[in-house]
Amino acid sequence: MKINISKSLEDTNKLAKNVLANLGDKKLLLLQGDLGSGKTTFAKAVAQHLGVEDVVTSPTFTLMKVYKTKHKQFDRLVHVDLYRLDSVGVDELVELGLQEFIDDSKSLVLIEWSERLEKKIENSIQIIFDIKKDKEREIVVK
Amino acid sequence: MLILGIETSCDETSGAVLNIQENKITVESQIIGSQIDIHKVYGGVVPEVAAREHVKNIIPIINQVLVESGYGMHDIDLVAVTRGPGLATSLMVGFEFGKTFAFTKNIPFVPVNHLAGHVFSPVLPIVGKTRKLDIKFPFLSLIISGGHTELVLVKNYNQFELLGRTLDDAVGEAFDKVAKMLGLDYPGGPEISKYAEIGDEKAFDLPRPMIDSDDFNFSFAGLKTAVLYQLKKVKITKKIKQDMSASFQKAAVDVLVKKTFKAMRKYELNHVVVVGGVSANKFLRNNIQTQANVENITLQLPELDYTGDNGAMIALAGYFQYKNNENKQDYLKLAVDPNLQLV
Repeated sequence: MKINISKSLEDTNKLAKNVLANLGDKKLLLLQGDLGSGKTTFAKAVAQHLGVEDVVTSPTFTLMKVYKTKHKQFDRLVHVDLYRLDSVGVDELVELGLQEFIDDSKSLVLIEWSERLEKKIENSIQIIFDIKKDKEREIVVK
Repeated sequence: MLILGIETSCDETSGAVLNIQENKITVESQIIGSQIDIHKVYGGVVPEVAAREHVKNIIPIINQVLVESGYGMHDIDLVAVTRGPGLATSLMVGFEFGKTFAFTKNIPFVPVNHLAGHVFSPVLPIVGKTRKLDIKFPFLSLIISGGHTELVLVKNYNQFELLGRTLDDAVGEAFDKVAKMLGLDYPGGPEISKYAEIGDEKAFDLPRPMIDSDDFNFSFAGLKTAVLYQLKKVKITKKIKQDMSASFQKAAVDVLVKKTFKAMRKYELNHVVVVGGVSANKFLRNNIQTQANVENITLQLPELDYTGDNGAMIALAGYFQYKNNENKQDYLKLAVDPNLQLV
């Protein structure tokens, strides 16, 4: 477990780069934290490091957006936001079309509001965001 | 010509029957199987993934919309369905149903871009009424909803240019999330609007992100976070709810109005449409109308039935696409496209 403090976009960018460099065999990022705690900002930073050219916008309403990347290991970034869902079990993952991306070795999957998952998905990295004060975030990577 | 329009890109399952005869357009029937009532109970979250709801709803809704139109399955001449953008598993339900319908009846099938549907929605008369079909190009379209914030230059029925868009949150999403922070009911947009009526829009000093940027892009995540910071400093009373609703709404609308009219001037346009779920907001409607009057610009807004996602707008956009001989490819091989762009 590593506790990071982000005071700027640059700090968050560096952390995203760091997380990507230390994935090991994992390819699933589970983000937790309240509204405005910096989850989407982190997702945008991950996208940038993967070489996503499209503008990465919040997937809150569509639940999921898939982006092409220019990365040697991953062909696509799957950006998910479970904010609008009550609780997400195995059935829901299949219905969202998410399970096939979780199973696909070429897809990096990033899930915001992973608190909504009924049980933690194995072999994932948890990233927990907390607002310390204006413009200062504590980001814990597990 | 009778057109069946089907929309399942996000939460709503919707079908409509449109009748177009010699430049006159009638919406014979429309049903929007809204999940909003279910959402209310759960305070803004969807209890079930929408795809499952679409599967349950699609046949009863299409059956009912045909019954209400007074026509039968055999009378339909064209099927128009949303192909994207949206969530793949939701889009698929309407798209594959529509393909099956067209295949069985051996009638043409048109895949429609959801945003093109919104763009033409101000043309639609309310259900049961007839209106003259009269569109002049070019015009500007501001598309604002829970999932979209886009400024689109509409050059012709089938020619669009994306001028700008949100770089983070859609404006409707910001409304919903600020409502959640204030502990208001779902859906958040109408609640903010209601509370704002009695609130003081100057009570909180909020940023207008990107209001003076050189491009036509938007950003609403920073505004949402600014609201969060201010709320942490106060106790949330009814008065605070009213004042913050008014201050937030004013900030969001200021940016939308300023950027829209900046684009009007740059592209020398005199006709603008404002569409999508947020175009139902009264304060926005009044503000943009006032500015349109000042600048002597024609403003068109959709009837309230067509601000949210609906089947009639898909039927209309599909009709235009069909008339303009587009997409004559073999639809049986066509799949949904969650990232479909307007071009």
